[in-house]
Amino acid sequence: MSNQKKRNFQIEAFKHRVVVDPKYADKTWQILERAIHQIYNQDASGLSFEELYRNAYNMVLHKFGEKLYTGFIVTMTAHLKEKSKLIEAAQGGSFLEELNKKWNDHNKALEMIRDILMYMDRTYIESTKKTHVHPMGLSLWRDNVVHFTKIHTRLLNTLLDLVQKERTGEVIDRGLMRSVIKMFMDLGESVYQEDFEKPFLDASSEFYKVESQEFIESCDCGDYLKKAEKRLTEEIDRVAHYLDPKSEEKITSVVEKEMIANHMQRLVHMDNSGLVYMLLHDKYEDLGRMYNLFRRVTNGLLTVRDVMTSHLREMGKQLVTDPEKSKDPVEFVQRLLDERDKYDKVISTAFGNDKTFQNALNSSFEYFINLNARSPEFISLFVDDKLRKGIKGIVDVDVEVILDKVMMLFRYLQEKDVFEKYYKQHLAKRLLSGKTVSDDAERSLIVKLKTECGYQFTSKLEGMFTDMKTSEDTMRGFYGSHPELSEGPTLIVQVLTTGSWPTQPAVPCNLPAEVSVLCEKFRSYYLGTHTGRRLTWQTNMGTADIKAVFGKGQKHELNVSTFQMCVLMLFNNADRLSYKEIEQATEIPASDLKRCLQSLACVKGKNVIKKEPMSKDIGEEDSFYVNEKFTSKFYKVKIGTVVAQKETEPEKQETRQRVEEDRKPQIEAAIVRIMKSRKILDHNNIIAEVTKQLQPRFLANPTEIKKRIESLIERDFLERDSTDRKLYRYLA
Amino acid sequence: MDRIDQLFNQYANRSSNLIDPEGIEKLCSNLDVSHTDIRILMLAWKMKAEKQGYFTNEEWRRGLKALRADTLNKLKKALPELEKEVRRPTNFADFYAYAFNYCLTEEKQKSIDIETICQLLEIVMGSTFRAQVDYFVEYLKIQNDYKVINMDQWMGLYRFCNEISFPDMGNYNPELAWPLILDNFVEWIAEKQA
Repeated sequence: MSNQKKRNFQIEAFKHRVVVDPKYADKTWQILERAIHQIYNQDASGLSFEELYRNAYNMVLHKFGEKLYTGFIVTMTAHLKEKSKLIEAAQGGSFLEELNKKWNDHNKALEMIRDILMYMDRTYIESTKKTHVHPMGLSLWRDNVVHFTKIHTRLLNTLLDLVQKERTGEVIDRGLMRSVIKMFMDLGESVYQEDFEKPFLDASSEFYKVESQEFIESCDCGDYLKKAEKRLTEEIDRVAHYLDPKSEEKITSVVEKEMIANHMQRLVHMDNSGLVYMLLHDKYEDLGRMYNLFRRVTNGLLTVRDVMTSHLREMGKQLVTDPEKSKDPVEFVQRLLDERDKYDKVISTAFGNDKTFQNALNSSFEYFINLNARSPEFISLFVDDKLRKGIKGIVDVDVEVILDKVMMLFRYLQEKDVFEKYYKQHLAKRLLSGKTVSDDAERSLIVKLKTECGYQFTSKLEGMFTDMKTSEDTMRGFYGSHPELSEGPTLIVQVLTTGSWPTQPAVPCNLPAEVSVLCEKFRSYYLGTHTGRRLTWQTNMGTADIKAVFGKGQKHELNVSTFQMCVLMLFNNADRLSYKEIEQATEIPASDLKRCLQSLACVKGKNVIKKEPMSKDIGEEDSFYVNEKFTSKFYKVKIGTVVAQKETEPEKQETRQRVEEDRKPQIEAAIVRIMKSRKILDHNNIIAEVTKQLQPRFLANPTEIKKRIESLIERDFLERDSTDRKLYRYLA
Repeated sequence: MDRIDQLFNQYANRSSNLIDPEGIEKLCSNLDVSHTDIRILMLAWKMKAEKQGYFTNEEWRRGLKALRADTLNKLKKALPELEKEVRRPTNFADFYAYAFNYCLTEEKQKSIDIETICQLLEIVMGSTFRAQVDYFVEYLKIQNDYKVINMDQWMGLYRFCNEISFPDMGNYNPELAWPLILDNFVEWIAEKQA
């Protein structure tokens, strides 16, 4: 390059001539406005997104954001007003469709417009904190369409009508519903709730109020519940298909309130179909339905439980106080077990093993079982029946099941000490008559009782088993040391430890010579090895097997009681005997003797003795002789009378008295125990503590406790406090 | 001292040197008082006499000295004062208990038979709790639960008369520590009133 004159060559920034064209903004806006029109008229295909975007961008850049924004709102509003007129004009069914369609159109348009105005959205609107384009578009729709007076109510009513139609069984366009309702949701939660959900719930409430009233007048309980369940399922289904999930809880509450809560009492108490009917007829399905429906409402299950409880108590009370039912103790207990099984099944099948219902069942049984004072005796007799006759053919496991069920009943007893007394008596009879079929079953029950009541309850019972075992050994030893006795009558002795066995007074009785000789030999043998002990023969509890030959040579082996043996053996030496002669010879007391003679002479099929006169009762002038014509198809004939039976009234009184007597020392022991540790205690607290301590055995009577306290005061175990008369003090 | 002893000898049995029931009767008539009068019992209380129906020399001295009486006249005059003293609430409870013990004649005896109790009640409480005594005596005679009354029951009755409004017995609570015989008594009255 030559040295030419340097010309200043500046590159100047490109200065586009700023169009300070006042019409610039207007022109740009017009373009955009036109575009919006076209978009709304579904005529957007010819538009260039890029161009429109740039125009909007420029407007904002040149500080015309406000104009743009306002224009957008005005234009859109105008369009929406037009659209709502069209929607409003739609007739009948097409109203909703039109609305839906326009809504979809609007959304599409709004999206496009938002894209075009995105720059404004991000800058101008951001900085001025105005509403963004999309939400604004929704609000405008809401204000101009949904809330347009001519649409607003009509829209809601249309929707509610459709729901109503569907509820009455018509098929509706669920897709359309979903779409329209989604519109509400899109417009905002408050719009959904205010403009749809709340009116929907109110209408539903009305609907179900009416329907439930109809149903309750016309249906029985089971059917009603089916219908209620169906409605619930429907509503849940409805929500799933076209409502906001949050509405589920609200609508189900409405159904629950109108159909269930408002009619709870009436349903449960319905004659011939309500809860009691269902329980009596094992309607598991209906009961299960009731349980599932009622648990949804406040106090629903409480209501069911209360009605069940009063029914159980009433039924149980009738069962145990009905004199007919108390005639057969085994039947009585079986009935109780059956009822318990029945309700257990109801609770497990229909009530989902609900613990509160289990408790209600238990408390009801506890209530009525104790209404009958003979329940403890009867339960013992039931066990006796099962353990004596044996549960033949039934596997061990089943025996366990029965005993466990009996234990359940036992737990309900308030007077467990009464049960103990009877159980001891019955067990004694079983053991001594050799009638217990399963030793294992006996022991199993004792273990269960021990687990339930503690060692003391069963220690005496176990003593009885020990005595039986020891006696076997003793017999072996006896015959071992007296081999000469293997000829002649066989003696089997059970030596019973007093205290373990129920006390029986010893009854006098003259044993036949050959027997008494043996007995004496045994006595000396036994006392030889057990010095310091005293043996008393319990002739009223023994049995004997006698071989007899009758007139025509019939041979039989008779199984009789000891008393009966004594009487029969007399006839070896006399053909005919009077009552007085028998009485004199045997020395058996009158009442026992009469009973004995009755069983020998007056029972059909077992009358080995004949009596003159042939009356039913034993008179003191009667005479007796052997029935030479006696026959029986069996070789072995059982005439013994040592079976456990339901006590007679006087026997029952006596047992009851013994129980009361036994309780006195127990109450005193409890009082002393408590006072010894507390030193000073007031009256009410003593009563409460004593009752609590004795509760596993029996229900202590406060009057009885008071009596015992006074007795202890008299014997200087306790004293009253000198200043506060309510207090008692322990005297060491 | 001498005069007191002299007075004692006027009533005492020569051989036993005790005033025996006969002597007491004589004393009573001289004092112009029935021998079932409560004041004789009060006198015994003042003497701390141990055995019913007898006064020992020591007991006689103790009592008369406390009463400041050494003649029959003074003794007679001292009786009203004595009664007032005994009837003071603090003393009466003690006196009431004393009356019971005074009737125990055998060594290990702890209870008194119904008939004696009825008489004792009449003497001790008859003037102050007429109605209660009448009712209670009637009840004692017809009930079968108790054949004798012990100290605890005796004292219970005293409390009853003092604390419980009669005959409505509105403030009686059978759930409190009243002796059982009183619970039964109250129940019996309620039944009669019904």
